[in-house]
Amino acid sequence: MRKAFIYLMGTVILAGSSSCNKYLELQPQDGIIKEEFWKTKEQVHASVIGIYSSMMEYSSGGYNSQGYIPSMAELFFVWGESRADNVATATASSFDDIALTTMNVQPTNVNANWRPFYRTINFCNTVLEKAPEVLTNDNTFTQRQLDIYMSEALTVRALMYFYLVRTFGDVPLKLDATLSDENITPIEKSTQSQVLDQIIADLKKAEALAVTSHGTAEQDKGRITRYTVNALLADVYLWTEKYTECVAECDKVINSGRFGLIRGATVNGPTIDYNDSWFTSLYADGNSNEGIFELQYSQQRLNPFFTIFSPTIPARRWVAAPDLMERVFSVDMTNPLNYDIRGDRASVSAATSTVWKYVGASPSALRTIDQSFAHWIFYRYADILLMKAEALNESGNGQGALNLVYQVRQRANALVSTDPTPSPSDKFAVQDFILDERAREFCFEGKRWFDVLRNAKRNKYARLSLMLNMIAQSVPSNMQQSAQAKAKDVNSHYMPIYLYELQTNKKLVQNPFYK
Amino acid sequence: MSRKIIVSVLAFMMVAGFVTMNACKKIELVETTTADVNIVGWLDKQPDSFSLFRQILERTGTAPFLNAYGAYTCFAPVNSGVKAYLTKIGAASVDAADVNTLKDMVRLHLLEDTVYTSSFTDGKLPVVTMYGQFLVTSVANVGGASSYFINRQALVRNSNIRTGNGIIHVIDQVLTPATKTIAQQLEANANYSIFVQAMKETGYFDKLNVVDPNPANRWITVLAESNKALADSGFANYASLKAKYSKTGNPKLANDSLNMYVAYHITPGLKFLGDIITQSTHETQLPQEVISIKLIEQDVVINEDEFNGILEKGVRINRTASDNAATNGVWHEATGHYMVKYRKPTALFWDVSAFEEIKKLPAYYKKANYNFTRATEADNPIKDHYWGWGSLAGTNVLSYIYSTSGSITNYACNNDVNMLPLGLPSRPVWWEMKTPPVIKGKYKVWICYRAQKQSSSSNQLCQVEVNGVLMQRTMNFTENRPAGTDAELEAIGWKRYIENTTNVFAGRQVGVIEFKTTQQQTIRITPLVGTQNNNNLDMIHFIPIDENQILPRFRPDGSMIYF
Repeated sequence: MRKAFIYLMGTVILAGSSSCNKYLELQPQDGIIKEEFWKTKEQVHASVIGIYSSMMEYSSGGYNSQGYIPSMAELFFVWGESRADNVATATASSFDDIALTTMNVQPTNVNANWRPFYRTINFCNTVLEKAPEVLTNDNTFTQRQLDIYMSEALTVRALMYFYLVRTFGDVPLKLDATLSDENITPIEKSTQSQVLDQIIADLKKAEALAVTSHGTAEQDKGRITRYTVNALLADVYLWTEKYTECVAECDKVINSGRFGLIRGATVNGPTIDYNDSWFTSLYADGNSNEGIFELQYSQQRLNPFFTIFSPTIPARRWVAAPDLMERVFSVDMTNPLNYDIRGDRASVSAATSTVWKYVGASPSALRTIDQSFAHWIFYRYADILLMKAEALNESGNGQGALNLVYQVRQRANALVSTDPTPSPSDKFAVQDFILDERAREFCFEGKRWFDVLRNAKRNKYARLSLMLNMIAQSVPSNMQQSAQAKAKDVNSHYMPIYLYELQTNKKLVQNPFYK
Repeated sequence: MSRKIIVSVLAFMMVAGFVTMNACKKIELVETTTADVNIVGWLDKQPDSFSLFRQILERTGTAPFLNAYGAYTCFAPVNSGVKAYLTKIGAASVDAADVNTLKDMVRLHLLEDTVYTSSFTDGKLPVVTMYGQFLVTSVANVGGASSYFINRQALVRNSNIRTGNGIIHVIDQVLTPATKTIAQQLEANANYSIFVQAMKETGYFDKLNVVDPNPANRWITVLAESNKALADSGFANYASLKAKYSKTGNPKLANDSLNMYVAYHITPGLKFLGDIITQSTHETQLPQEVISIKLIEQDVVINEDEFNGILEKGVRINRTASDNAATNGVWHEATGHYMVKYRKPTALFWDVSAFEEIKKLPAYYKKANYNFTRATEADNPIKDHYWGWGSLAGTNVLSYIYSTSGSITNYACNNDVNMLPLGLPSRPVWWEMKTPPVIKGKYKVWICYRAQKQSSSSNQLCQVEVNGVLMQRTMNFTENRPAGTDAELEAIGWKRYIENTTNVFAGRQVGVIEFKTTQQQTIRITPLVGTQNNNNLDMIHFIPIDENQILPRFRPDGSMIYF
């Protein structure tokens, strides 16, 4: 009895003492809250690196199911290529993926889910809002360091919005952080030009703050530098038809002397000397002298592309268009030693129609699943040259444009059959040439659809025919006419707002094409 | 005791209190499984737009079943469209209109399945309306905005609205069914007077002027030639057309060429252009004659084919003037004159290793070996060569073998062969190929191969099927050509098909086949006994039965010799 009493008392004391401790505290014990964060410069650093790693987040939900949320890198590819003519669906493609190729996108299409982008935007907004507070908390944190972090957050946010604005047209412009549920308020869409103005303003601010180098090659290609800002600005100016500004931004990168083209092929009299390590250094290994900004996938963080492209698995989703080699790169039937280095076994494996860029470890060998870490390249030097060419041509300097195009062609040994030798004064012919060259140079790099759209929409859709011709190529024959007629409605060039977003944010208005 | 009473009284009051409190509150039990409305319910919610269509549903007695369980697609016309329709049929109001006309009209707006806009093509909808006519879909661009265009009559204003028993597409006009037959429509159009006259004189006009009550036989597709198309080919009037073709004097006879001309322009089935281009050949009313269809850029082209290396230009279909729906089918306009071509059966000496996919690889074609690997069963690296998946994944490789010196191909036609592992239990279980077009007629089929045994005990006995018809004789990839003169060999179904006399290159006659139509034929080799990798197929010959079966022979450079 007495023993029992002692035990009972013991239990009561134990229970009482623990209740004094943290029993009543509301703060989580297994995590960190914002009041405790944002104290040291290390925390700012971690948050900024977190922005980059958020861009490498994996997909969630089962592919081909309603709840599927694609990863961001997947959307870079799908938004930039699926509606264009370089890719085709494969046997395992989901209904939603096929709908993209037939111009049948519905608001329920999972590829219209912009969640990964706004997620990263919120990380950027959080850094932009909270990082300046750390200056007062941590005396070892300098204004210069803060500036660099701010430039990174501003640029990544601008990049995200640039993808959104090119894909959806008008999108909600959210510039403050959503730190808790209290911050969630429905907001309206801003117009395309409002968003673009914000992007340009942010980038100009970032340019002044950004560094030219973080110290190592890996950091320079994987984090924002001033040249990333210039490259992105050039692209934005090209989109907004500001050609002098675009040329100026390109020149900043060109004149920096920090970038160059990786040698691909050199014509040596009758023979052509190919650089065997061109593919490996540019694509397979990444972070080459040509790269400006790349998503740093690694063995610790694999890219999602193995399951999407690899011919070794039964369920690949995207393959190269069957006529890609002849139509885009062309083949020299008489001399097999004369080929475009960007074609077979670089962009594509012609025999198996495989998108080779992301699954090839070398021109001949496939990657295994644990080696699937080809970088996603946002910008590289060749892009700067061709963007400048496009801007020069628009401002009336056709010859200057052609010189740059030939510079890019030469390094790859582009075949004569793909050179229409346009007259420098024929603006449309040079436009076509640059567009075709971009199709070769950036095959599967998520640029084709945006390139065609940018050229088609220039001067109030003066060249809508570019878009229509592409659709005639890429859409299955029994829907070709419908798809073309749809594309004549320029609203159809932008994706619908995902149904879930419409249901949760009542202020959003659907793109009128998807009524 | 009194305390006990108080306690129980209190307890009773509490219980009573609970009960009364509950009674005041209404318990809401959800008795429905969903709050979704049905099609009629959805229309009821928007009387501003659909009150007239709703009245029509009520008047025709359609409303009750559209409000019951089911899976329908309803094209719902808005009030303005219904008003225009009522004016057109001369009715002052819904109640004044003829109820049977309204019933037909409603039936044309209903499908007994859910069809979303994602299954809209350039052709007909996959499901027939309750009226019995198909709806044809397209996309129209009006003032910069594109909308689906139903039956070329109504624009879709709002699509894919889900309701409890189906989906609704809102349209701006009422759809009206076709009321004329193909014959009547063509007759009413002066641009086709020559063609119509030909139809009349050959008796096809009457056949195209009836609506067969059996839906299975009802639909017909006609490719009509306009007067201009005929004039371009030198037929200014009907008389000249008749003079050219009608040799028997009676165009009604089936063997009269004018009769054949019209028959060749009629194909059974309901085929809008969106449906036509999904198949490469279509039967015609002319027995055993087909037209071929190709999509070149955006043009649908009839009979553009390559025979023995010569490209014959085809005739384009005028897309804007086509897809004309009639009560018994659809007709299109051909922009040129075309007529069935009578071709004499011609031998096809098919080098199987000259397929498109290898020709695209100049570094390998006629230069080096190349493996076409099917990594998974779903892959199909070569369009015209396919095989049944072998369970041992690594054996699913078709090798292009080329060498001028190696003993496998040194005497082969073009120095190349195709090699595919075959045989149960683990290698591919059949090997199927699409030939280039072979002209209809009776042919002997020769399989020409380079015999090889993977090991001394290997055996590879195969049967051959052409268009699904089993050939009379088997062949064996491990069997050498026997000795004997050409005549002796032919008598037992063998030949030497190459210039060199080595007996490892053998031509084996597997049988005789009659091709009913001129088209790409299908040939399939199925292993019966044994399994090995080294099945080297060089050529397949289709030689008309009355022609020389032995000659020509083939040189390593691909040229033919006749000795």
